[in-house]
Amino acid sequence: MEEVKEISIGVPVEPPTEVKDLYVPIPPEYIEDSYKKDSLIVLVGPQHGGSGHMRIILRLRGDIILEAVPDPGYVHRGVEKLAENRLYIQNIPLVERPSIMDCANFNLGYVRAIERMMDIEVPKRAQYIRMILAELCRIGTHLYDAGILSIFLGHSTGFMWCFGLRELICECLTRVSGARVTASYIIPGGVRRDVDDSVLKYIYECTKTIENKIIGFKRIFVENPVTIARLKDVAVIGRSTAIKVGLVGPFLRASGVEYDVRKVEPYEAYDEVEWDIPVSYDGDSYARLLVRVEEIYQSIKIIRQCVDRLLEMPKGGVISDQILTGIKEKEVVSKDIKGYFYRVFARLVPPAGEVTTLTEAARGLLLYTIVSDGKSNAPYRLRIVSPSWLYLKGFMESLKGCRLADLQAVYGSFGYFPPEADR
Amino acid sequence: MVYLIPESLFELFKQEMVSIPIIDPIIKKLLEIPVLNVIVAFIFWKKVFAVLVAPGLLTILLILLIIIWLERKITARVQWRYGPLEISKPIGGVIQPLADGIRYLFQEVIVHKDAHRPYFLQFPLLSFIPVLLPILVIPAGAVYAIQTPYAVPIIVGLITLIPMVIIALGWASNSRYAYLGVLRETFMYFGYEVAFIIAVIAMLIMYGTGDAFRITEAQRGIVGAVLNPLACIVFLVTSAMATSRLPFDIPEADQEVVFGPFVEYTGIVFGIVMTLAYEKLYLLGLLFSILFLGGWNGPYIPPLGDLSGVIWLLIKTVIFMTFLVFLRSVYPRFRVDQALKLGWSQLLCISFIALGLAIVVKVGGLM
Repeated sequence: MEEVKEISIGVPVEPPTEVKDLYVPIPPEYIEDSYKKDSLIVLVGPQHGGSGHMRIILRLRGDIILEAVPDPGYVHRGVEKLAENRLYIQNIPLVERPSIMDCANFNLGYVRAIERMMDIEVPKRAQYIRMILAELCRIGTHLYDAGILSIFLGHSTGFMWCFGLRELICECLTRVSGARVTASYIIPGGVRRDVDDSVLKYIYECTKTIENKIIGFKRIFVENPVTIARLKDVAVIGRSTAIKVGLVGPFLRASGVEYDVRKVEPYEAYDEVEWDIPVSYDGDSYARLLVRVEEIYQSIKIIRQCVDRLLEMPKGGVISDQILTGIKEKEVVSKDIKGYFYRVFARLVPPAGEVTTLTEAARGLLLYTIVSDGKSNAPYRLRIVSPSWLYLKGFMESLKGCRLADLQAVYGSFGYFPPEADR
Repeated sequence: MVYLIPESLFELFKQEMVSIPIIDPIIKKLLEIPVLNVIVAFIFWKKVFAVLVAPGLLTILLILLIIIWLERKITARVQWRYGPLEISKPIGGVIQPLADGIRYLFQEVIVHKDAHRPYFLQFPLLSFIPVLLPILVIPAGAVYAIQTPYAVPIIVGLITLIPMVIIALGWASNSRYAYLGVLRETFMYFGYEVAFIIAVIAMLIMYGTGDAFRITEAQRGIVGAVLNPLACIVFLVTSAMATSRLPFDIPEADQEVVFGPFVEYTGIVFGIVMTLAYEKLYLLGLLFSILFLGGWNGPYIPPLGDLSGVIWLLIKTVIFMTFLVFLRSVYPRFRVDQALKLGWSQLLCISFIALGLAIVVKVGGLM
């Protein structure tokens, strides 16, 4: 961006009334300063078709964004505080609510933390089922984000097709767990119940359908010349800037850093299946979209390998024996926890201490910390750091120098999800 | 003396009536009833019929109904869904736009405190002036109001007044996002106007006249789209830019500037401003059909008589409008500087080449 000469107007200026009335948390000196220096303050507020549930305060000169200040917190529901008043198992549906479509990964991080505290080993069958769920949710989230990017660019067809494809993922989740979103299916020690062969075959067919339909989606949206014109070379973040500013997940990989928690510290059975991490070295919005489309293909590859292994594995228990210590009918219960759930889990008390887990959620790195005092059956402190919160700073930094219309394109390319960021 | 005036007017109307053989018996019956015959002769007088019925007010309303329904239906079918189907399910939900219009009539028209009230409320109504005036000079076969050798320049001149109305009503809204939308509308206006006018001038040079009758006569062999395809392409793209069809619906992007100049409108005034773009599309469609698609040429349908040419013109117009409206399901939206760049570099080049082609064809004596 070339340097623009600043004009100072010596006329006494009154900031607009709307800024005073709305209790916008920016100091009045900032507003007066921008008005005197001939820049416009635009509030892309929560009641806006293209802002999600947050307010972005833009300082514009002409069409160029000088500075973008986020005002998040509209969806802050106090998940961390609520978790202190609930049993450990009651927190499982709680922590998957911030990021609704990415439920399995959020569940997985929390449950792995409990398992690490209590030194529980999960049976192989449960690990593969958890991986299938996690990858299904990853595909669902990438489809959701691609749909939001489409509608922010004005492409309603891409939006409808992505959400239509996501219906297949919701149907898979229903057949596995009974709920379309927020499955709450992963519990400490494994999963709630075993998965039928017919369900596994259905999941396999779904991956084939998604792969076929994504070809059409690529033709109409990803390779559309207008999309390329809107997204190419917009909000470029270089490699060192990405690391300095703290990007995570597919947005870090789109700037050239090959980092994925599933490869660096593998959990579940990610080191037993063959897959790659897609990396791009461009760092612009188009690369961020392409990396996520490639990740859908990689997730489909992982799901197919898991389904194949589950179909040939002998049927067994899906809940670890270490957690079913007091139960007599271990054979039956380890296949389906129905009827024994509260007996097993209600008095779960992990030993005193603090444990942190890192998970690769769909939008990036997810961090859980549980602090337990060894005596109570509710956590002393639960700390969640979601990926959207981690890359919010990078998102705002990348907006400097973009045009006003690029705000929506960059917002969609980052897939920023305010409920996940605000927790 | 006073009651002789209707007699002379009646004779005047009867001489130039539109003849439609299929409803001739009914008209003959009506012409014998004392007071009603003057009214019926007035409506069927060629000049008034052109402005009121076809291709005038009633046709505009009917085509608005059809084209809004078509847009929603086609877009929906591309997007794996059904489109409007709730109202009048047996006929596919065709009167959905009428239902929407009636609903707007029941909504409260809010004029906010900061708005300039007279202009805010009056400009949407004044917008009908540049929309309905060109109908005077657009002939449709045997149904026409004014025949003049300056028909096409008059149409182009009046069409260029419509963005003025949009800019004025956005300015009268006195709101931040309306201001951004007005800026974008102004930039878009600069972007397409020059290329559009040069493309129309190229066709005028090629035909040698601005009279719609002679232009249609000249297209009996080959249509204008084949004679000068470059001008046709430029006209298509600039029509999309002019009427805010995707990929150029920049002034009224609802993810970026929340409907732009129309953000503060509610109720029936909102209904009027929303249909403004479609009426402009209709005018551009009529112009396109006359210049490029052969006007009202087509096989003569005996039962319709004079309406035969009108029907052919309307069919070609609806095809043009449907194509532009279908683009909504295929393209996202350009940025305003990209659209300006397109209008001033690529489109301007192609329109100049089209102009050169027209001059070569005319001077070479091929027309």
